Amino acid sequence: MNRALRRISIAVLVMFLLLLINVNYLQGFEPASLASKPGNSRAFYAAQNQYERGSIVTSDGVTIAASKPSSGSIKYQRYYPLGPAYAPVTGYDTLYSQTGVEAAENSLLSGNDSSLDVRKVIDLITGKTTKGATVEVTINSKAQQAAYSALAALGKPGGVVALNPKTGAILAMASYPSYDPALLAVHDGTQLNNNDAALLKAPGNPLFNRALQLTLAPGSTFKVVTSAALLTQSPSTTINTNVDSPTQLTLPQTTHVLTNNNGEVCGNGSGQAPLITAFAQSCDTTFGRIGMDLGGSALNAMAEKFGMNNPNLTVPLPVAQSNYVIPASLALTAFSAIGQYSDTVTPMQEAMFAAAIANNGTLMKPYLVQQVTASDLSTVQSTPQSVLSQSVTPSVAQDVGQMMRAVVQDPDGTAAGFSAANEGGLVIAGKTGTAQNGVNNSGLNDAVFTSFAPYANPSIAVGVIIQGGGYGATAAAPIAVQVIKAYLATLGNP
Amino acid sequence: MSSITAPSPTVDPTGPLVPVARSRRRTELTMLAFAVALTAFAFANVGFSLNGKLPSGIVEYMAPYVVMVVIAHLAMRRFAPFADPLLLPLAALLNGLGVVMTYRLAAQGNLLTAPLSSSATEIQVVYTALGIGCFVAVLALIREPRVLQRYTYTLGAIGILLVALPALLPASISEVAGAKIQIRLGTFTIQPEEFAKLALAVSFAGYLVAKRDVLALAGRRVLGIDLPRARDLGPILVAWAASLLLLVFESDVGTSAVFMGLFVAMLYIATSRTSWLLLGFVMFVAGAFAASKLFAHVGERFDIWLHPFVGQNPSNNAYQLVQGLYGMASGGLLGKGLGGGQPYITPLVQSDLVISAFGEELGLAGLMAILLIYGLIVQRGLRTAMLVKDPFSKLLAGGLSFMLALQVFVIVGGVTRLIPLTGITTPFLSQGGSSLVASWMLIALLARLSDTARRPPPRPIQDEGLTQVVTL
Repeated sequence: MNRALRRISIAVLVMFLLLLINVNYLQGFEPASLASKPGNSRAFYAAQNQYERGSIVTSDGVTIAASKPSSGSIKYQRYYPLGPAYAPVTGYDTLYSQTGVEAAENSLLSGNDSSLDVRKVIDLITGKTTKGATVEVTINSKAQQAAYSALAALGKPGGVVALNPKTGAILAMASYPSYDPALLAVHDGTQLNNNDAALLKAPGNPLFNRALQLTLAPGSTFKVVTSAALLTQSPSTTINTNVDSPTQLTLPQTTHVLTNNNGEVCGNGSGQAPLITAFAQSCDTTFGRIGMDLGGSALNAMAEKFGMNNPNLTVPLPVAQSNYVIPASLALTAFSAIGQYSDTVTPMQEAMFAAAIANNGTLMKPYLVQQVTASDLSTVQSTPQSVLSQSVTPSVAQDVGQMMRAVVQDPDGTAAGFSAANEGGLVIAGKTGTAQNGVNNSGLNDAVFTSFAPYANPSIAVGVIIQGGGYGATAAAPIAVQVIKAYLATLGNP
Repeated sequence: MSSITAPSPTVDPTGPLVPVARSRRRTELTMLAFAVALTAFAFANVGFSLNGKLPSGIVEYMAPYVVMVVIAHLAMRRFAPFADPLLLPLAALLNGLGVVMTYRLAAQGNLLTAPLSSSATEIQVVYTALGIGCFVAVLALIREPRVLQRYTYTLGAIGILLVALPALLPASISEVAGAKIQIRLGTFTIQPEEFAKLALAVSFAGYLVAKRDVLALAGRRVLGIDLPRARDLGPILVAWAASLLLLVFESDVGTSAVFMGLFVAMLYIATSRTSWLLLGFVMFVAGAFAASKLFAHVGERFDIWLHPFVGQNPSNNAYQLVQGLYGMASGGLLGKGLGGGQPYITPLVQSDLVISAFGEELGLAGLMAILLIYGLIVQRGLRTAMLVKDPFSKLLAGGLSFMLALQVFVIVGGVTRLIPLTGITTPFLSQGGSSLVASWMLIALLARLSDTARRPPPRPIQDEGLTQVVTL
């Protein structure tokens, strides 16, 4: 029996040797290849927490996200000094995932980007602690704070985006209700889980970035696109050309009658009104008629020139697609021309409408990250300005701009309450929208406003959408005006 | 060290004519001190790593462990003074590390995986006490291994009943993770197969000792291999069928492999016929292959093994295996340190994949040490088998040692993707009572056998002519 036992011993020895060899291979040679395999959260986690994460600062030097040493097993604690106001910009950085700029610039912030490799070697030689890169965003802290405060004061869900029309830099990007990203930066797993669950259940979905992701009907603000299409297609038309402006417009092949807000007459009630008057008073019958004359394809082409129907827009945070759907019938085309068919836009798109008009018809690509600097203050990356599209010719832009000025400056304009006389000489141009929704328009109206200022030399374009806000002029426009004034104050002019 | 120091009543200081056998209980005590110290350090390590201070329950958890280990040592002195001095310390060390890992996994979890319940460590300490209690009981009750031979068929019946029980019971009280292997009584669960393994090992040994001469008879010779006679194939066919039934009705591939391997290895030790080994191996592989084609649960295991990173596998079926591998990879050569890794990401890391948690936190170095501890226990067992004189004890020692080795091979090989992963427990390390208690009973049997093997022969008869009373 001992001979057999000896052989069994050898078999056992071989079994253990196989185990030892396999374990050596697994832990000695394979870690590198396993680190890049799908779902390896440990490797992700290790890379994420290797260095002190870089800060996120605004263009005027306000720190909105930073890391400080922490006592636990994870060496640094992320914190957000201004919390909810900047949450749509910063996003959050949990132990396991990121959103917002934290996600978009993660490799640079965490210090793992290959562009930092040379500096890491230098750090190693000089004995300096390697840190992640600092990301400077284009946000202006005054404009951002004004946007968030105004939204919070109104207390209704909505989003605001402010752009520099000349460059495309995003000056403000606010969403309400918001959340404090610090809640998701906690290191304790159970606490993180609870906070996450609470935020997901919270009323108004605070984690939703309305500035970039909320898509609602543009309402009358789409008349910017409709009139731009008209002026582009028919060069003989000017803003003073009389256009059909009936009090009631019976839509073809239907019994549906399109009327203006509260059945009001348009212009002097003659059935004809200058284009600028119809625009300033936001006559639905006029633009329904124009939309039917132009046709869905022409409106679609112009909408796309303003950046709609683009599924790939990133700033670098992804922006939800704003849609124009070519309607199947003339009647629906009339509705689409006044932004009431199935067209939907984001607050970002609303800002882009005004920005294109303000910048002589050239729509600059919106961007959020100004530049990224390594811990030695050298610039790693900066965002070049680029043209997203030539929306309209400069002369058409000027015409539409004049009409937008009339909306705010004419006594009969829908946003006349914010005229230069009321705003201390500040000339704002804009277009209100009050999008009806719900079955048979039974839901609360969404308030929309697109604007730019100052009219003579535009330096800011603002888009606002308030869910269930009511009239654009009463709910959305005041917020835009506050953002505009806060920003212009930083430039040194009223 | 001389035998005079050993306080054993069965050993009298012998006269100068008889060589002195050394009991080596002091060696055992020294080694036990190392095992306890290592466990205590590991415990403290977890606390310092997670909270920067000694773990809150260190005294409550360590005290019963130390007391039980000392009781086990005293029982060895009393009941098995000549037993191998390494068996107890090695088992105690593995058990201690298992308790520490349970504590560590109960102390920390993450978003997806909640930590083990806060009472998990206490329960594991209670199981440890129970296990060592059973260890002492086996030593005290079975004073002579050959006694077990009397119960060959009784134990065989008990073993088969224990294996069959979960399959016969409704799934509501016997199914866990797709395999029917447990009996649930309220919150308390028993895995009867853990005990069945021991009963069947004893039963096989008894049966094979009785029939070995017949089984060793050669039949036809094919390709240089002496095939057994067809009429002697009965036992292996029964074992094969039983292990396949286990596989089919309880979906428990790992245990089925361990049973079959145990039987074939013991058959080989009993008869020294390579043909039995080949036959058993071929039959098991053929059966497992057929089962993998016929039963989805078994086939899936092979797919996970061969293609863990393909398609949906990493996030679905192979999630557990893949996360275990990631954990071990993140541990690398020296590990993250106890409390420093994220073993809780891996599902069921406290039971089937506990070895991956050790790999992650203690690294390749720690894992190899653990494997060598197992290897050492198996080696002591096989050495006992060589030394012991009577065939039944030989067979039992060889069988038990091989079974332990096979179990370690199946689970560690499975976790490290050497072979398909099957859910069996890791002796001493896995959280859970049945496996721990059964493992301690196995160590008790090996200790008993090694005591028999190393015990000095009775003193030569001096007074000729008088009747001797021989106690067995």
